[in-house]
Amino acid sequence: MFKKFILQPFIESTKEFERNNAFCINEKFYTYKEFAESITKIRKALQNQNIRSKNIGLVVNDSLETYAAVFAIWLEGYAYVPLHPQQPFARNIKIINQTDVDLIIDSSVKSGFTASAVINSSLLAPEGVYLDPKPTPVDALAYIIFTSGSTGKPKGVQITRMNLGAFIKSFLEVGFHIDQNDRCLQCFDLTFDISVQSYLIPLTRGACVYTMPYNRIRYSYICDLLENHKITFGAMASSMIRYLRPYFNEINIPSMRYNILAAEASPLDLIIEWSKCIPNAEIYDFYGPTEATIYCTYSKFAKEGSNKHFNGMLSIGKPMNGISAIIIDNEKRALSKNQKGELCVFGDQVTPGYWNNEEKNAESFFEIKYDKIVKRFYKTGDLCYFDEDGDIMLAGRLDNQVKIQGYRVELGEIEYHARKFLAGQEAVAVTYPAQNGSNEIALFVEGELFDNYKLLEYLKTKIPPYMIPSKIIVKDKFPLNTSGKTDRIALKNLTQ
Amino acid sequence: MERAEVLSKLTVIFRKLFSNDSLALTNELTAKDVGGWDSLSHMLLITEIESAFLIKFKLKDLNRMKNVGDMVDIIISKL
Repeated sequence: MFKKFILQPFIESTKEFERNNAFCINEKFYTYKEFAESITKIRKALQNQNIRSKNIGLVVNDSLETYAAVFAIWLEGYAYVPLHPQQPFARNIKIINQTDVDLIIDSSVKSGFTASAVINSSLLAPEGVYLDPKPTPVDALAYIIFTSGSTGKPKGVQITRMNLGAFIKSFLEVGFHIDQNDRCLQCFDLTFDISVQSYLIPLTRGACVYTMPYNRIRYSYICDLLENHKITFGAMASSMIRYLRPYFNEINIPSMRYNILAAEASPLDLIIEWSKCIPNAEIYDFYGPTEATIYCTYSKFAKEGSNKHFNGMLSIGKPMNGISAIIIDNEKRALSKNQKGELCVFGDQVTPGYWNNEEKNAESFFEIKYDKIVKRFYKTGDLCYFDEDGDIMLAGRLDNQVKIQGYRVELGEIEYHARKFLAGQEAVAVTYPAQNGSNEIALFVEGELFDNYKLLEYLKTKIPPYMIPSKIIVKDKFPLNTSGKTDRIALKNLTQ
Repeated sequence: MERAEVLSKLTVIFRKLFSNDSLALTNELTAKDVGGWDSLSHMLLITEIESAFLIKFKLKDLNRMKNVGDMVDIIISKL
């Protein structure tokens, strides 16, 4: 599947469209031919190494060589482990040690990684073009991406070639028609798996990838890219869109054909306004944990008519082809419609497990009979329910469910009502320990708030007394984490 | 308002926002030269500048600000 849906179509792109642009990186264009040459020289350098571990560390710069290294690694039958140059060095070292990486590819002029063997990909001599893939089993890995663990220790999610091939197949079956005339946005760090969708879809169709340079102001740069280069296809996180909200009346991107919302729950009111900035685009909301390879469910946003939502967040829709979804209770029993429980997914996209983490694997995967066959499901940790039509509503993180005075409280419910009162301003509720040690709720409001009292009075008419925040904290702008999502942990730290 | 005057007014805003009392602004200074100058602080910076100079930026203005020199030019053009 990896060969059929990724390597073969990519190699065909490099032949059929060799003079077309494959990348626009920091306002510089590179053709498919140049990209193929770059892959080949890195590949030769890999062949000259004495490689023990199949996991190759890849320093993810915003450079042609970085993307070329991904394909060089794949053609040679290895997997990449992205190392972010702007993340703490100590964290990268932990990742390198955890995944047994003993070779690193780095396009930086001066690599900071001196301890292990390093291929400096920007200094290699040309070697022509040779892209025939080495025969590699489908259960070999394509990449290992680290996600933060609730306990603070990052977990390495291993994604196999089959996982990734199955994803590309299902993603295209949603109905995206991308060809060599498309210009596609890639604005995610390579340590975040949406980047994989963002570069693979264009490269397997002969289209051009427009990347987001580091050290640029993300929201204004993205908008510049979208407008100046007439981007036609792109995935974005709703937090990025929220930054642009004050300027919506200036934004008009008629070139956009498909816009994907991913990485976090999408507020319906924000998306309704945003949709006017991209008048010709079909908008899709995709949901998925890294463990199920990028996305596993989606819904199409209806520009006319109504959109399903729960607490103001768009429904995450139905599973993609090849994915089965169930919702379970604490006893791992499948629940019926309208009953809230933990969303679990099964299918070819689901990871074989966390790298060298038996404890977490035992917690996160389980077997259950589904369609008369025992299947292995991944527990997403997301609280969901199926509605009458089988659409999935996301009701928050299971670990966002908190107990206040013994009552179960969904922080999302408080946020929903607060946002409603604030007419679309962002609001995030977190818990904090009060002096007496009990859990209390703090509500953060983004922007300005003229009257705390009125907000509290409004909330009191909507939610039970134990759900009323004991603190309201106003911030000009909410902090974002490296994935571009609202950083709830940072907000939580501000309560102390 | 003269460039020098704009620059000194900006210096006060920058130093406060990035909690760096020795920050010296030059025309060539960019986001990557200043620790903590990211999307969030940029948004706050823009808001601070708008209220200090009593101006309003458009998104196009933001996109044209490649460095502090551009920022000064755009501010002057709005005064």
